[in-house]
Amino acid sequence: MLIFSVFKTLTDQTVTVELKNDLSITGVLKSVDQFLNIRLDNIKVADEGRHPHMMAVKNCFIRGSVVRYVQLPAEHVDTQLLEDATRRDAMNQVKR
Amino acid sequence: MDVSGTGIQEPFDLIRLSLSERVFVKLRGDRELSGILHAYDGHMNLIMSDVEETIMIVDTESAMAGQGVVNVAKRKMEMLFVRGDSVILVSPPSRT
Amino acid sequence: MSLQGYTDRRVLLVLQDGRAIVGVLVGFDQKSNIVLSDCKERVYSADEGVEEIPLGLYLVKGEMVCLIGEIDEAIDSSADLSTIRAEPIPPIRYG
Repeated sequence: MLIFSVFKTLTDQTVTVELKNDLSITGVLKSVDQFLNIRLDNIKVADEGRHPHMMAVKNCFIRGSVVRYVQLPAEHVDTQLLEDATRRDAMNQVKR
Repeated sequence: MDVSGTGIQEPFDLIRLSLSERVFVKLRGDRELSGILHAYDGHMNLIMSDVEETIMIVDTESAMAGQGVVNVAKRKMEMLFVRGDSVILVSPPSRT
Repeated sequence: MSLQGYTDRRVLLVLQDGRAIVGVLVGFDQKSNIVLSDCKERVYSADEGVEEIPLGLYLVKGEMVCLIGEIDEAIDSSADLSTIRAEPIPPIRYG
């Protein structure tokens, strides 16, 4: 749930999702779910010339399992908070 | 590294020690990352900052000539989410 | 789920093998299984224009879904598919 929570704090930020087919899509993160499926608005596909397939698409749903990376806006990520939350999460995993 | 006195019981305990440190990550698809680890979860999803990605590209022409030259493409990303299903290993950076 | 806003709209479904299917989203579930009506596959090629193959009513297994995009009808109808030249979308590779 940790990563899901992080993504929820980043809604309305611009991110770039790189898929496992090497397609890169930049857009505004509108929503995310427990499977880390992603909804992006106002999308721009990298290297548009090679990918006219999505010319008429302004917003999309990306299945979590096909994501390789999501580039996040560094200024909106509190790394200290992340590390503390991760340590707490890890502690809770052990106790169970 | 003698881990017996450090309370490390399972692999994720070892990763926990690397939080806020630079780590080396090997991914599927001949990719490697070096970056500072800020978060991870049980799926090996990662959040890292100051990341350099290296992609190994095999030069098929020289490979067929018996020389097997590997080219690399590098890229830097400020803040990155990495989906765990691509991760092969996470380790402290190799000491040279 | 995030697909709620797309029902009864025309969408572009990109499959994990790279195929591009256009149709009206009738339904979906938590596993991303999709029902598309009146759908057509758009086959892209570097040498020829886009070929559209009518498929009808399709149920697509969630595991096969890569991406679903909402189609802007104004932009899509103004595009002349016969002039588009592009390689097919590459398949998803896990390894």
